[in-house]
Amino acid sequence: MSRRLHPSVAGAQPFQLADRDPDAPLFETEEDLDRVEAILSRYPTKRAALLPLLSFAHELHGWISTDDMEKIAGVLELTPAYVWSVASFYTMYNKRPCGRHLIQVCTNISCFLNGATDVLESFLEHTGTREGETSEDGLFTVIEAECLGACGFATAVQINDEYQENVTPGKVPQILAELGKDTGS
Amino acid sequence: MAEGNELISLTIDGIQISVEPGTFVIDAAERAGALVPRYCYHPGIPTRPAQCRVCLVEIEDQPKLQPSCTMTVQEGMVVRTDSEAAQAARQSVIELLLVNHPLDCPICDAAGQCMLQDYALETRQLKSRLNEAKLVQGRDRISDDILYFADRCIICTRCVRFMREVAEDDVLVVVQRGHRSVIDTFPGRDLDHPFQGNIVDVCPVGALVHEDFLFKARFWDMDQAASICPGCSTGCNIAIDVKENQIVRSKPRHNPDVNSYWMCDHGRRHLVMSNRGERIEAPLLRRDGKLVPTGWAEAFAWVAERLREASGGTAVVSPAAANESLFYFRRLLDRLSSSGGIYQLSTGEEATLAGFPKLRLRAERAPNATGAELFGFVRAAELPKTAGQGTVAVLEEPLADHPEDWASDASFFLFLGTRLSPAARNADAVFPTTSFAEMDGSFTNHEGRVQRFHQALQPPGLARPAWLVLARLIAELDRLGTEASAIATPTEAEAAFQAMADGTPEMAGLNWSAIGLKGGLVATTTERATVEAT
Amino acid sequence: MAYPYRHDRETTTILSRHMGEPEARGLKGWLERGGYEGLGKALEMEPAEITEAVKESGLRGRGGAGFPTGIKWSFMPAEPRGPHYLCANADESEPGAFKDREIMRWTPHLLIEGCLIAARAIRAEHVYIYVRGEFFPVIRVLDEAVEEAYEAGYLGERVMGSGWSCDLTVHVGAGAYIAGEETGLMSSLMGGRAEPWMKPPFPAQRGVFDAPTTVNNVETLASVPGIIVNGPSWFRQWGSEKSTGTKLWCCSGHLTKPGNYELELGVPLHEIVHDVCGGPPGGRKVRAVIPGGSSTAFLTGDELDCVTTYEGLLEAGSSLGTASPIVMDESTCLLAAMRRIAQFYAHESCGQCVQCREGTAWIAKILQRIEQGEGALEDLETLYDLCEQLTGRTICVLADSVVFPLRSSLDKFRDEYEAHILRNSCTAT
Repeated sequence: MSRRLHPSVAGAQPFQLADRDPDAPLFETEEDLDRVEAILSRYPTKRAALLPLLSFAHELHGWISTDDMEKIAGVLELTPAYVWSVASFYTMYNKRPCGRHLIQVCTNISCFLNGATDVLESFLEHTGTREGETSEDGLFTVIEAECLGACGFATAVQINDEYQENVTPGKVPQILAELGKDTGS
Repeated sequence: MAEGNELISLTIDGIQISVEPGTFVIDAAERAGALVPRYCYHPGIPTRPAQCRVCLVEIEDQPKLQPSCTMTVQEGMVVRTDSEAAQAARQSVIELLLVNHPLDCPICDAAGQCMLQDYALETRQLKSRLNEAKLVQGRDRISDDILYFADRCIICTRCVRFMREVAEDDVLVVVQRGHRSVIDTFPGRDLDHPFQGNIVDVCPVGALVHEDFLFKARFWDMDQAASICPGCSTGCNIAIDVKENQIVRSKPRHNPDVNSYWMCDHGRRHLVMSNRGERIEAPLLRRDGKLVPTGWAEAFAWVAERLREASGGTAVVSPAAANESLFYFRRLLDRLSSSGGIYQLSTGEEATLAGFPKLRLRAERAPNATGAELFGFVRAAELPKTAGQGTVAVLEEPLADHPEDWASDASFFLFLGTRLSPAARNADAVFPTTSFAEMDGSFTNHEGRVQRFHQALQPPGLARPAWLVLARLIAELDRLGTEASAIATPTEAEAAFQAMADGTPEMAGLNWSAIGLKGGLVATTTERATVEAT
Repeated sequence: MAYPYRHDRETTTILSRHMGEPEARGLKGWLERGGYEGLGKALEMEPAEITEAVKESGLRGRGGAGFPTGIKWSFMPAEPRGPHYLCANADESEPGAFKDREIMRWTPHLLIEGCLIAARAIRAEHVYIYVRGEFFPVIRVLDEAVEEAYEAGYLGERVMGSGWSCDLTVHVGAGAYIAGEETGLMSSLMGGRAEPWMKPPFPAQRGVFDAPTTVNNVETLASVPGIIVNGPSWFRQWGSEKSTGTKLWCCSGHLTKPGNYELELGVPLHEIVHDVCGGPPGGRKVRAVIPGGSSTAFLTGDELDCVTTYEGLLEAGSSLGTASPIVMDESTCLLAAMRRIAQFYAHESCGQCVQCREGTAWIAKILQRIEQGEGALEDLETLYDLCEQLTGRTICVLADSVVFPLRSSLDKFRDEYEAHILRNSCTAT
């Protein structure tokens, strides 16, 4: 991220990205520290910055490790246990690393009515994985998701920070092929 | 009550009562004789999340049932804790808790004192419609001696809130959510807090258990006695659980002026240790250089004979001896025209319960140093390496670290105690006394609160409370001599206490039944001793 | 695919007029479309006047509960003793609903303007927009708009040159339906688990950061600028006495033309399903509709004559909720549909209240067992009883939310349950 973010949105960035570095140092560069400072400036309590900082760590690392939680606890003067309690409540924080492309298939009611179960099956079949597993090439992790808020465009699939809508089982191979080209650097 | 605070009148289950403004309905109901079931609510934990929903009651003019733990009383409120709707809601909570709670009561430490068992019986929720498999979530070790059985947990969060709000160490939390919620610590970081044992006590079911107690005793096989923790000078009120005449655990007993609902882990562990060691079971008299067991009558006669001409000498007491024993020991010393007397106090690190700072594991690791001071004994940094050649009398100080020849050249050495250390073996007479757990008596805590403790165990053999033994010895001396000490020879702790209170200016006004289980304060120089109205 | 599907009620496109126009996203394009006119006007009004206008307009909350917006604002202290906060609830997560994301991704400035007017009315000087985490594409658009608005002086110190300052922060959730419940949202915003709390205290007394707070849905806030610009009676020209204005209808399920449609309140439901959305594909018949998102009661295909006002749908035995009809045609196994809905609530229960934590999961398991052919008729009694047990006894209404569809499906589609239990078959065609 080269652009300096306005504090109003510093804590509100997409945090499930294909490009990430699980080993990147957390809150160490001047730029990152500035952003942490900007986030903190928006809340009357430090604790309120917890989700934004978890999301920030997730944006960099692609998942939340115990090290991340301890670091965030330190910054916000919380206990690591408290941070763990909060992080574990929210489903979007991966508690372990996942594939480069996290594919979340909505199977909630509207998508369910429109064949989402088959779409999920199709993704699993074509990636050769079971739900939650990462494919051998490290590219894909497919999981079932609750309502993604795109019910009129069933089946909705979230792939990292983008939505694919009106997905049918037939479209799955092409989607995966497109993603497969993006293997990162 | 503060002026201007008019009482609030309300009706609970048809009973009209008046309570202070701000009283919660659940507490008002208790005063009206209705014990509303509760899980998440604990009077010693500040927050009331109202999440277990088992305390819902009907309140007239309210469309929905209301949690009685968060609802404050209002003038004219009409509460029904036993209405059909309230009962149905309560039964429903129990049925739902049992959806995932295992029925492993036969191997659960909490069986018999489990609030889920109790309420299941109370609500007649005895038949299950459940056809589904229960979640199996295993057990975790969350500290060096606390185990967490996730399956049994009902997520009342008392333990979480105890650590967060009372211990003020936010290290135990709910993780995950919904029916997958469990209690956990941060990965790799066990609990390590001097007061953490209280989470086991607040657990309404058997989800948190002490490993030390695991599978050790069924609740119904244990006897309980109200006691005082001897671990330090705070004097936490405790209940001692006894099985087959062994202490198996101790739990805090509520006293708002001392320890609230809590106690420290040092105290908990300390007490179970007292089962260790070999006890003296009969009076021992030195004959032909050897300690020989005998009966009490002979022992009193033999010792009195040898003490009648004694005067001066060395006296050592234990700061763990009961007030009554110290009092009678002082009287014995008076009888022998001996003054002074010392005690030694071991010390340790302090630990304060942040959310109830009055409760502190105090540096003085004995329950009755204040009592010892009160009866004229003086704290010595160290006990004398040698005892001198006069009379030596020792009350319950174990002399554990003393040289083997300590007091071996005394003209006469009387030892009253529970165990024979090498130094104690030099005594000419040994009187076996009871431990505090084997007798009724009292301690005076650091702030001068005189608190009663009660007999939990049967003493071994002929061991008797020191005050009883000492009173009998004084009586024997009186019989042999020309003067009488005019001191009662009680056979009951209450009478011993009365004799002590009558004979001790600072305790004037204290009385065994009036101090009850809450204790009474000794007087400072200017005031009378007080017993707070309860 | 073009967005949105247009329909013939052009006159009622208030909120959605500029959806589908990428230029409307930017400040320049938005100003060309009359943007921030309402804010300019509001800045010349007293806070109480703004509240009064919204009260008069009859605008009701669009997040599901339908509480009158102006009245909600009037609960805020008139004389602030400390900070006040406005939270825009953009945690759109009711299954069936996808309207707020459309407002935000096409017309983010409309939301910002609505927030500012509302903040002025309730004397708040900081607005938090709590957006559900999954909406990354929406968040990008919103972020950009907020930065633009700061730069142009619509946000921050001295809003539009007035003496009034107001900050706005975009706050992103991380996957929890219950963060859409107003106290859950505030718990989450304060850095906690999104656990709802007992009311009282009501948010207007003590909300986020212990300060008086108003939580409004995105669509509610987006409706405000129009009311301020055009006056309350303009808004009242649509809808009924008790349900004024227009509403975005999120139509999904078995429909030929699913999508968002802005309609005045009170259009008959069958018109929405059949005329606006073209009914189920392949000419199949409608078997069931959940009119207000998955937390509302089922209507059968024969019950679509009702009018889609707050009161009309209540009368029909359901509710308007988030105005998100989920249509199920005759090929639908209603047991499977209900099981899927129940699984959602079990997954999303925060876990505080026993009824919800254990009850939602138990219901889902019972339905699953029946679906697998291992049900018994007693299960239906148990389910009815659980409906009773999960109603009105918990901190928030998540437990009640599963009861509405469950009880109505048991009442109206008992044949489906019995077919599975007695014959291990299904009534879907």
